[in-house]
Amino acid sequence: MKNRVTILKDQRILLSLVIVAIVAIVAMINPRFIAVKNLITIFQQISVIGILTMAMSMLLISGGIDLSIGNIMVLSGVVMAQIISTNGNVALAVMAGMITAALCGVLNGVVIAKSKCIPLIITLGTSQMFYGLALTISGGRIMSFGGAFNTIGKTKLFNVFPVMLFVLMAMVLVSYVIMNRTKFGRRIVALGGNEKNAFLSGIHVVKYKVIIYGIAGFFCSVAAIIFSARIDSITANAGTGYETNALTAAIIGGVTFDGGKGTISGAFLGCILMGVISNAMNILQVETYIQTIITGAIIVCAVVLSNLNNIKKNK
Amino acid sequence: MVDIDYNNNPILKMNEIKKEFSGVYALSGITFDLYRGEIHCLVGENGAGKSTLMKVLSGAYRPTSGSIEVEGKSYETLTPNLSKELGINIVYQENDLVASMNVVENIYVGNEKANRFGFVKFKEMLEETKRQIEELGIQMNSLTKIENLSVSDQQFVKILKALSVEPKVLIMDEPTSMFNVEDAAKVLKLTKTISEKGISIIYISHFLNEIQQIADRVTVIRDGAVVNTYQNKTRDIPIATITTDMVGRPVDTFYQKEKQTIGEVLLEVKDLQLKKDSPKISFQVREGEIVGFAGMVGAGRTEIVRALTGADSKYGGEIRIHGRKVEIRNPRDGIREGFAHITEDRQQLGLMLHNSVLENVTIIGLRDKIKGFFIQIKKFPPYVEKLINDLRVKTPSLWTEAVYLSGGNQQKVVLAKWLFIEQEIYIFDEPTRGIDINAKAEFYKQMSRLTKQGKCIIIVSSDMPELISMSDRVLVIRDGGIDGELAGEDITEQNIIKQALGVKKYEK
Repeated sequence: MKNRVTILKDQRILLSLVIVAIVAIVAMINPRFIAVKNLITIFQQISVIGILTMAMSMLLISGGIDLSIGNIMVLSGVVMAQIISTNGNVALAVMAGMITAALCGVLNGVVIAKSKCIPLIITLGTSQMFYGLALTISGGRIMSFGGAFNTIGKTKLFNVFPVMLFVLMAMVLVSYVIMNRTKFGRRIVALGGNEKNAFLSGIHVVKYKVIIYGIAGFFCSVAAIIFSARIDSITANAGTGYETNALTAAIIGGVTFDGGKGTISGAFLGCILMGVISNAMNILQVETYIQTIITGAIIVCAVVLSNLNNIKKNK
Repeated sequence: MVDIDYNNNPILKMNEIKKEFSGVYALSGITFDLYRGEIHCLVGENGAGKSTLMKVLSGAYRPTSGSIEVEGKSYETLTPNLSKELGINIVYQENDLVASMNVVENIYVGNEKANRFGFVKFKEMLEETKRQIEELGIQMNSLTKIENLSVSDQQFVKILKALSVEPKVLIMDEPTSMFNVEDAAKVLKLTKTISEKGISIIYISHFLNEIQQIADRVTVIRDGAVVNTYQNKTRDIPIATITTDMVGRPVDTFYQKEKQTIGEVLLEVKDLQLKKDSPKISFQVREGEIVGFAGMVGAGRTEIVRALTGADSKYGGEIRIHGRKVEIRNPRDGIREGFAHITEDRQQLGLMLHNSVLENVTIIGLRDKIKGFFIQIKKFPPYVEKLINDLRVKTPSLWTEAVYLSGGNQQKVVLAKWLFIEQEIYIFDEPTRGIDINAKAEFYKQMSRLTKQGKCIIIVSSDMPELISMSDRVLVIRDGGIDGELAGEDITEQNIIKQALGVKKYEK
């Protein structure tokens, strides 16, 4: 009985062990891997995907999913860039970007909650809409931020830690607090666990769905800021693949499609694992094409491994 | 009635079967035999080992020791394939039919008759099914889709499916657990018909009345061992003794119905209409009173209580609580106005199966019982520990996922979440379906406790003895409306059934 209770924790422990093992092995081959500078680079590399993974995890735990988060991020970024280039007011640009992203999320939430259709399909559709909007606004061009967010990417606390690292940490913490330390979060978990039961327990299902999709949308705008802080420019198709990567990280971290299960910390570990793997392959100078194959294989292994418990349980 | 020839060799004999799971014996040496054409009933509480024993028989489990003799041939263990080859087949409790396929297709799913090119010979299967249906005296169209069949007809299809492979031994695992009296009687009749054709039946059920009607022998198991086997030639097995055997102690205080003082009108429902054309429903429930809703499955009992608590929308009518008119549009309103709705189907509606007991119990109370915006689930246990202990919920810990609890304990968790928020009107919809005797007793105790506190209760139940013993009044529901009311001495199984079927107007 006892190990059943701790399965989720096991998943996190397992993940931590895998991460430590990879780090140890790669460090033996190339000690440069564990230089503080490289470790920080890893976190910088996962900062955008990390924030999106938080959004995705909250949605998965609520029993939903959002395949448009990549394009919400892009749309939000394009809106910001457009305002910066025409008006120059960064604060206004950020506000507009955040509101746009949150509204995109709310739109997803409203359609999903009211129509009771499968979120996967709905968000595939809205994703196209957001992408099209981003294309329209940007005219397909590369949009520059004029260095507005460079400070976030360049400023370093104690001359070591870039500010964007703290943004990432803050977003992870915010998601953790929302899901674990608020009544709202507990109800979201309940919603994901059994929607009918949540409804009968007096939970306002539509309202909570709309809010959680809205929050996820807001997270995308923060991701957009971090994205532009690193590259200082954005194009309409920059978001491609982000939603699947976020989904993968969350699943590796023990969040499931079924809803109600999974932890924010697990999802973050999933993200770190993916970051470590991709960085390690760079350090070991694995060819880019081969990297893709290996990444895919590792994802399959990780998901199968994490499901072993379930397979055994059902026997 | 065919006489069973007990002088012949049994068709099936399980000798000293033991089954160990990581040090714990689920079966500690069970000997069980079955003769040709016999109905041998197996009774015992949930967790007594019935299912484990049947899984040994179906080949799903390998026994730790012991042997299984089928028609004189001894086996150490069976495999699912071997078990089937030997002619052992099971009608499972769960519904394993494909809803979108018709009767014939379902019966032959995975076992289709086909020609040598692999094309399905539908006509042949249809003829065979029709013949079977006729032979067993059932009324059913072989081409109806499962989703359009009544619950009892679906059960018949499951049985037909099991019979299609011409088994020698048929295991029926609680075939009537979802049924009302009327439909259960049909299944019982069918069971007898099958046994008269020479097929031996192991019949598992919680309903001792049923067993008394059909069993040739009854074996009671408890804690993985046989307590007793009774002959039932004269249809008079001692039900009280069997109950004692099952529980391991006399269940003298089983239905704990104490006379309560009935107070003022608490809940008043006036002209409630679920849909535009549905009948108007009016009734009252008083403080300390238990009102039973009787009726056939599909008569509309659940629909009425769902409309009351806000789970479903309603067309019109008035609900008053303590004389004050209340508006209930959704469960949130219902909860605010003091309703507690222990829904039917705990797994689908009542629980988050993969969340902890603690999360399940506190989910409704989160709103008012637990203060503050920021919360810490780690600090919840003191809120519910007493409740869990009082209800005697058997769980390894508060952090155990609900899915790992037994049916009875899951149901107690559902009750606990409503007791946690201390409501005024408790509605129980099939509260004790499929749960063991001890858990049932706990439910009755809690109902009495609630009425003592001046709260009122509505029970919707298909379990007649339960409904009759617990209710102060019984409202009989038929075709979505209240068809009659029975009180005091008039609450008898016969009166209820007559009224529920609309056979004859009940006369005083």
